[in-house]
Amino acid sequence: MNINRLIALSKSVKCGKTLLTSNVRDVAKEVTVTHRAFRTHARNLAYAKDLFLGKMNKAECFPYPEIGKEELEEINSFVAPVEKFFTEEVDSKRIDHEAKIPPETLNGLKELGLFGIQVPEEYGGLGLSNTMYARLGEIISLDGSIAVTLAAHQAIGLKGILIAGSEEQKAKYLPKLASGEHVAAFCLTEPGSGSDAASIQTKATLSEDRKTYLLNGSKIWISNGGFADLMTVFARTEVVGEDGVKKDKISAFIVERAFGGITSGKPEDKLGIRGSNTCEVSFDNCPVPVENVIGEVGGGFKVAMNILNSGRFSMGSAGSGMIKKLIEMTAEYAGSRKQFGKNLSEFGMIQEKFAVMAQNAFVMESMAYLTAGMMDRPGVPDCSLEAAMVKVFSSEGGWICVSEALQVLGGLGYTKNYPYERYLRDCRILLIFEGTNEILRMYIALTGMQYAGKILTGKIKEMKKGNVGMALEMLGRKLGDALGRKVDLGLTGRDGVVHPALATIVEEQLILKRVADVLINLYAMTAVLSRSSRSISIGLRNHDHEVLLANTFCTDAFFKNNYWITQLQRNSPENQDENIKKIAREVLEKRAYICSHPLDRTF
Amino acid sequence: MNCARCLLRLQSLGFLAPSVRASVQNAALLKPATALSLITVHNTCGQALRRFHGSPGCYKSQPVPTNPGEEHEDRIKKDKSLITHDDLFERVAREAKTKATFNRVVDVFRKRDIRRRGHVEFIYAALKKMPEFGVERDLTVYNKLLDVFPKEVFVPRNFIQRMFNHYPRQQECGVQLLEQMENYGIMPNVESKVLIVQIFGDKSHPMRKYQRIMYWFPKFKHANPFPVPLQLPEDPVDLARLSLNRIANDLDAKVTVYQMPCTDISESGEEITFPHVVGIQSPDQMELLAKHNPNRPVFVEGPFPLWLRKICVYYYILRADPLPPEEKVEEPYDPERCFDYPLQLDLDLDRDMGDDDSFDVEDVDEGPVFAMCMTSQGDQATLNQWISGLQETNPILGRVPTLFRLEAGPRELQGVADPDHVYREEGEEETETQTEVEPDIVVEEEHQRSQGVKQ
Repeated sequence: MNINRLIALSKSVKCGKTLLTSNVRDVAKEVTVTHRAFRTHARNLAYAKDLFLGKMNKAECFPYPEIGKEELEEINSFVAPVEKFFTEEVDSKRIDHEAKIPPETLNGLKELGLFGIQVPEEYGGLGLSNTMYARLGEIISLDGSIAVTLAAHQAIGLKGILIAGSEEQKAKYLPKLASGEHVAAFCLTEPGSGSDAASIQTKATLSEDRKTYLLNGSKIWISNGGFADLMTVFARTEVVGEDGVKKDKISAFIVERAFGGITSGKPEDKLGIRGSNTCEVSFDNCPVPVENVIGEVGGGFKVAMNILNSGRFSMGSAGSGMIKKLIEMTAEYAGSRKQFGKNLSEFGMIQEKFAVMAQNAFVMESMAYLTAGMMDRPGVPDCSLEAAMVKVFSSEGGWICVSEALQVLGGLGYTKNYPYERYLRDCRILLIFEGTNEILRMYIALTGMQYAGKILTGKIKEMKKGNVGMALEMLGRKLGDALGRKVDLGLTGRDGVVHPALATIVEEQLILKRVADVLINLYAMTAVLSRSSRSISIGLRNHDHEVLLANTFCTDAFFKNNYWITQLQRNSPENQDENIKKIAREVLEKRAYICSHPLDRTF
Repeated sequence: MNCARCLLRLQSLGFLAPSVRASVQNAALLKPATALSLITVHNTCGQALRRFHGSPGCYKSQPVPTNPGEEHEDRIKKDKSLITHDDLFERVAREAKTKATFNRVVDVFRKRDIRRRGHVEFIYAALKKMPEFGVERDLTVYNKLLDVFPKEVFVPRNFIQRMFNHYPRQQECGVQLLEQMENYGIMPNVESKVLIVQIFGDKSHPMRKYQRIMYWFPKFKHANPFPVPLQLPEDPVDLARLSLNRIANDLDAKVTVYQMPCTDISESGEEITFPHVVGIQSPDQMELLAKHNPNRPVFVEGPFPLWLRKICVYYYILRADPLPPEEKVEEPYDPERCFDYPLQLDLDLDRDMGDDDSFDVEDVDEGPVFAMCMTSQGDQATLNQWISGLQETNPILGRVPTLFRLEAGPRELQGVADPDHVYREEGEEETETQTEVEPDIVVEEEHQRSQGVKQ
């Protein structure tokens, strides 16, 4: 429960930065040096992490990122043919029905260069930035199966080579991958492991001549696994650690199907994204040359994490693209269908659904392009937290919107005559893959707390050493708190510092979930505010509508956040955690619903 | 109060003569009446009269003996009044003590006399005899007994009767009947209610008793989260299966029958009985066992008692000593364990004064229990069979020294038939568990629970 303190921290630590600056002013030259160092590192501190310290790092989010005029023209020139292709040539119904993307469609995609959107031009790709990738994602998402096939290929499949591969590896593999001649897949998940690296069983053993690794093991749920020519495979290798002890560590390998010893299982029959190919891939003494290790041997964990973290941001634009399309289709129906002599669109409850859809699309879009813009800035900004937030928000928003759109049509939406049921099935996967939303919430909350906690414990140490400036600053903050804060959340220890009970916060998932939700909302609010203020100032068309959406969303999110924060208080009546846990415990103990039937009698 | 008693006395005195006559007639009807029985009939009436004057508490405090031998003595010593009715049951019971014969006795009594004279005595006698006839848990029989009361006679008709204890003996008898039902855990039904209303009226003591039972019984019906089935399986293997599942209380645990009970005739013509060996082990226990340090022995201990209603069964456990603190290895935190989020926040936190929480009194380490088994013959040879059976799924057992620490305990499964025997064993077992260094908590709990359950 003390975990709540972390959150409160965010409030109390507001003065953190001021402290640094005041130090600079008051104290000596060396402090100025640290100040500068801090500045140069600022690139690494992205916006969301600072929210955990109670800091609004406005410079990161305001103004809303823009692209140059030429870039805009360039992207529009890409978008037009892709849009045409998707509306005219792609038959989503057929893909869904036959559970296969026809080869001519795939060829069309390859011709458009969609297999190498982010591969640099020197390797034959389009070399587009994250922002432009997001823009294309809006259109690609109109067909879930194609979107997943492409994402498995380039968002995760070849990403390993792109971000951690050597020059030779890039030169050897990227051109064929970018042209679509080779399709890539990402092989991490195993029957016994999802996020748990410790249960990866696939082994890579070095041969006698130390020139090849032999891969053994099997991977499940591999998108494109049935036909991929190239795979990024993660396997255990024996590594001699610094202390001379042999340890099993994970390494990443580029594996060509041509190496031999690779078999693919039967494609899974799925609920949605049926056209994408998902199957088991097993490796039986598959020889991989040593030079095909991505990064260094034993460094696979970092590679995997980076790939996973970098692929998520595009889901926001994909979701908004889908919802925008749905709004068009549904509005048409609502405007023409008559009930009791009135159009459907005149009924309040139908109107509400459209408002929800528009608002969600707006927020997703804002978040996605803000994040993409942040990622496109020079330096290597770490936007994994923001990307995860975009993913969680847009997958859940997308699910709600599709369901609402279907609801507008009522029974018709439920039939296969309309595409809504397909959208509904397709978009359900968004909540599951690329890290389930539950896992991502843990990631958001814990990564942020880790960051905030480190800085704050550092501060306490300073203070203990007798740093007068720090102590004064704490005192000042205490005064400020006493005057400013209305509710004591009981989250922080003395002087508002991190409580040692933090060590166990990892187990408090319900609390972490709320922390993550609050942060996601904060980020979403920032995104819409930033976007709509830009729209006002440069006078974009319908910017008043944007302002309206932004206001509505922010008010809503504000109240939700307030409620969640109240829930975080230990003894508040809103906090039902104990009951929730108890219910679950009792049910899980019996592994069944344990209430007696309402018709049961005792006498 | 006195006034009412006088009235009652007069009333019953009026009944005295006819009742004697009736008894004689009854006796003659059933079997040849002897002079002796005539005398006792007279006694009956006298006794009944005295009783009637006595305080109502008299009957209540008198327990209903369930032990047949005791009852016999009782009857000889003081309760001579009931001889006729007891005899009635005894005579019928010579053929067979079943529900049918019991019902026949009741029917005979009801048909004998339209006024049902002596019905209170008859009902008391019948209540006593119920366990003997094996109908003590049969609701229809209780209703039939209630039906013996004449209807509407005892219903108070005016406020004075209502105010005072109207027909106290009959009411007491009715309450006694309901009490016996309560003791056996039998819930009356609507038929019982209708009968009580017909006999005693809707504000009478038996009615109150009925209402109380109906208030509390449903509330307590499911109070036990671990109910023992009313009918325990006869087959020792099934019984072992049930009891092992009960002790383990783990839905993943798998019961394995290592040996079915059977008898074989060896070449030399001797009969060899193979006892049943049934064991249970959960995947968690297998994992624990696999991690066990092969240099430390594991122990087969037992027998420990488990009570299931009136049956006591014994089980054996395979366990190890708790790890000494120096051997405990905490799995080091691996930052490269989870692809998605940090499994632990590595904040460089200092301990403050008073933050030391390493000392915790409530955590008492107990050794892990790896498996449990039940067998009808707890000798080392039989248990060895269990261990070798376990070894098939837990290969580590081949490398771990296994010590047998068996207490001299009962080797046989205890049946319901002999309650004395069971109780004696129980006492023995208790002393054994006391001498043990670490009494198994599960055992203790099971023990208390099964005794605490009201039958």
